[in-house]
Amino acid sequence: MELLRPSSPEEATGALGNGSRALAGGTELVPLIRDGLVKADTLVEIRDVVPRGVTGTRIGAGTTLAELELDGEIPQALREACAQAASPQLRSMGTIGGNLLQATRCWYWRLGFDCWLHGGETCFARDGAQREHAVFGNDKCASAHPSDIAAALLALGATLRTTRREFAVAELYRLPTDDDRNVTTLAPDELILEIELTTPDASTYLKAMDRRKWSFPIVGVAAARFGGETRIALAGVAPIPWLLDSVAILDEATPLPGTGYKVEIARALVRRAIEAI
Amino acid sequence: MSEATVPKLELGRVGESLPRVDGIPKVTGEFAYSSDLQAAGMLWGHTVRSPHAHARVGTIDISAAVGMPGVHAVLTHEDIPGEKRYGLEFQDQPVLAYERVRYFGEPVALVAAEHPEQARRAAERIRVEYEPLEPLVDPERATEAEPLHPDRPTMGHGYRDDPRPNIVRSLVIRQGDPAAEGDVAVSGVYEIGIQDQAFLGPESGLAVPDGEGGVDVYVATQWLHVDRDQVAPCLNLKPEQVRIHLAGVGGAFGGREDLSMQIHGALLALHTNRPVKIVYNREESFVGHIHRHPAKIWAEHRASRDGRLVNVRVRILLDGGAYASSSTAVTSNAASFAVGPYAVDNALIESTCVYTNNPPCGAMRGFGAVQVCFAHEAQMDKLAEALDIDPIELRLLNALGPGGSLPTGQTITGTLPVADVIRRAAALDVPEAEELPRDPMRLPGGSGNTTRGEGVRRGVGFAVGFKNIGYSEGFDDYTAARVQLHADGSATVHCAAAEVGQGVANVILQVARTELGVRDVALAPHTTATVDSAGSASASRMTWMVSGAVRDACRAALEEWDKKGRSLEVDVERIYRHPRTTPLDPETGQVTGERAHVAYACAAMRVVAEVDVELGLTRVVWIGTAQDVGHAVNPQAVQGQIEGGTAQGLGLALMEEIQTRDGLITNASFTDYLIPTTLDMPPVVSELIEEAEPDAPYGVKGVGEPPTVVSTPAVVAALRAATGRELSRVPVRPDDIVGL
Repeated sequence: MELLRPSSPEEATGALGNGSRALAGGTELVPLIRDGLVKADTLVEIRDVVPRGVTGTRIGAGTTLAELELDGEIPQALREACAQAASPQLRSMGTIGGNLLQATRCWYWRLGFDCWLHGGETCFARDGAQREHAVFGNDKCASAHPSDIAAALLALGATLRTTRREFAVAELYRLPTDDDRNVTTLAPDELILEIELTTPDASTYLKAMDRRKWSFPIVGVAAARFGGETRIALAGVAPIPWLLDSVAILDEATPLPGTGYKVEIARALVRRAIEAI
Repeated sequence: MSEATVPKLELGRVGESLPRVDGIPKVTGEFAYSSDLQAAGMLWGHTVRSPHAHARVGTIDISAAVGMPGVHAVLTHEDIPGEKRYGLEFQDQPVLAYERVRYFGEPVALVAAEHPEQARRAAERIRVEYEPLEPLVDPERATEAEPLHPDRPTMGHGYRDDPRPNIVRSLVIRQGDPAAEGDVAVSGVYEIGIQDQAFLGPESGLAVPDGEGGVDVYVATQWLHVDRDQVAPCLNLKPEQVRIHLAGVGGAFGGREDLSMQIHGALLALHTNRPVKIVYNREESFVGHIHRHPAKIWAEHRASRDGRLVNVRVRILLDGGAYASSSTAVTSNAASFAVGPYAVDNALIESTCVYTNNPPCGAMRGFGAVQVCFAHEAQMDKLAEALDIDPIELRLLNALGPGGSLPTGQTITGTLPVADVIRRAAALDVPEAEELPRDPMRLPGGSGNTTRGEGVRRGVGFAVGFKNIGYSEGFDDYTAARVQLHADGSATVHCAAAEVGQGVANVILQVARTELGVRDVALAPHTTATVDSAGSASASRMTWMVSGAVRDACRAALEEWDKKGRSLEVDVERIYRHPRTTPLDPETGQVTGERAHVAYACAAMRVVAEVDVELGLTRVVWIGTAQDVGHAVNPQAVQGQIEGGTAQGLGLALMEEIQTRDGLITNASFTDYLIPTTLDMPPVVSELIEEAEPDAPYGVKGVGEPPTVVSTPAVVAALRAATGRELSRVPVRPDDIVGL
């Protein structure tokens, strides 16, 4: 395996594609390579070329979660989402850009089952253990997106600047289709450079977990209030982070027999999040 | 602990709270675990494992792996010079698979290479021809399925001859009139998921050839001599040509009682004539050791109007997985303790363990008593409610004690202060509910910041349980200790008792200092090379057994020293045996002698929990316990065992469960298999009930298992009290609670 250390974003994107992968904190990519879920002959170290740190409402994609959770200037929902993610060791290494591209924790996908998301025909969660799985957007693949931070950024209405374009964070994600099983719209040679926040009047992130700390969300709820408008997004409920256009959308959930409880949790947490802000 | 509360350490005798000899090195990172072992010229071993839970094994083509860079050996079952199967009690497990694989992760081939990565890559080049077979994964259908072990390895050992296929053991205990009616009956069906020992130090060890055809294996294990006795026949060596030395153990809890890398490492070392080290990764560790038996338990309790148990009927089904391990003893324990520490004249208990293609199960802290305690304590609470009697009063009314008898007909001859532990635990002050608002870390949901008090209800639960101390049913159990007195007044003790973190090294030293009256006692390395067996670090037996052996050896050494005029060096070895046990009658499950179990220890626990009933999230607020510990050799270590054992039971109550699909473990990582953190575990108030056990040296008892037995039902009882839910399956998770 080769490790490249480009000195500019242009040089980095030039080296990406063709099976090479971008390496930032490595907390996500390295385990995926170890487990054989990502194959890469070349890693492109982007630590020196992706911005890091917070300037006003702009966050460098290379900023670690640990740095963000301590920054009093950024909205509460994002700080809380960062503080509640993973463990201190992982937060010290993991970057916000990388976190947005986290792969699902779906066991079947992680074990390399020939599942629909891997390009196969079957979603194994649909007839197996499924309590961690999705309640929205789950007709093809019932995996759940684990990122706390993505839900917070969705609720905050953040925009992303990549090496190619600027767009709303919601547009980073797509439900996988028969033709394209990717869950993001990011091109193989595209790098997230910055995240631009809008500042809400108030925001929060609440996260229900199977353990009191250091675990992925059963359901995470981010809520942000902008004047009279409140935006809400959920983690852990769909193959991608899920924006709730209205609370009533919860009635349209399509839970599996083992995931109905997530809808109940989401309902209570959404109510509490709205009350909190 | 403030300095004033630390007893002044004069000598470190029995009864003193003595800091653990391995404590400071472990917390400062200086302690060498088995995975830290190194030797000059060392190779790395890697295990090729079955990706199927059940398959026929055809040809194994190693040709592509043999020539890979750095590779020194590639071995299959054809390279085993001796016995091809081994087992803790029954030789039913292939050293390397041939003909069939019966569980996911079963070892099939071995590679030794100069670098672990080279070994891993070579392993990927080995082509194994598998013909997948339908895996047997439903234990309730096991006796209707094709036999996984047509040769029935566990039959013909004095157990009931059960002709059904895939029976590891079935045991029926009948006492009194199984049809006896009471005034009130309650029933329930309970399920216990597969718990993992989840020790932090993965399986690892180093095998070093001795140049004369023999081998030294340095390994983290629980039972050195029985490791040796399983390794040697497979290598076609005499036992003395295989020496097992204890390497630093990073937790055991039963999971190291069976072999892991011992035979494999030794095979590779002898084949290459180089030291070979094998270290499992976390996923391998999950598939590479046995687990706690998942169980389904059907129970019916009948009682008189005044609350006395009249008849208890229990049916227990244990899933033993692919190989027998210690399942026959777990089956018997589950049956023995199915009623709980209560007196009842009429009982019918059926306990069955079956083979399946699920992960193999065997010893884990609590060993059969954990599963049934969850059921009998839920039943006692149901009965209390049906009778409208206070649940603690109901337990006191039926409490077993010395002179009472078990459904096996065994009379309790030693101490068993069940009523005492109930009263003392019930008398502990339960803390008042904390005021709101509070820090989220002091609310259900923890760092998830999910509530400020909304939806939170509080419940208090109580449970009592007991378990045997020591090996049972006629097993010839003994412990050896060897004591050397030196001319300078110091002493050395040799004992092969595995220090697995439970503190037995201190017990050995404390007993020796007590008997010899000298401070300067050294503990020689735990090994099969210099002393006879100490038996297993399991069944809460080690403190008792080691105390007896070291005491006897010390006394014999002093006698010898006196005889020799108090000047010469003395070196004596003594063997200690506990009172003899006899098997249970295979037809009635009744004792055939005075006792089937050596002795018992009990504990009672009270738990306060808060539950956010809208989200199903919990917080265990407080735990208070009273435990029957015999005479505490090292009270500080006893408290440590109580806290650790309680945490392990809390883990089973709230989150720990191995998940499988078609026999494949799907959550073999600490990211997906959750264990409690310090934030999930409240402070534990523990009361030690010190009644000297009459048959034991210094009146000691084992202490490691009773807290694990009682904490699972006590935590779940608190959740039931908070939610009103039946919660008949552990672990209890948010999906079992939400929607109230």
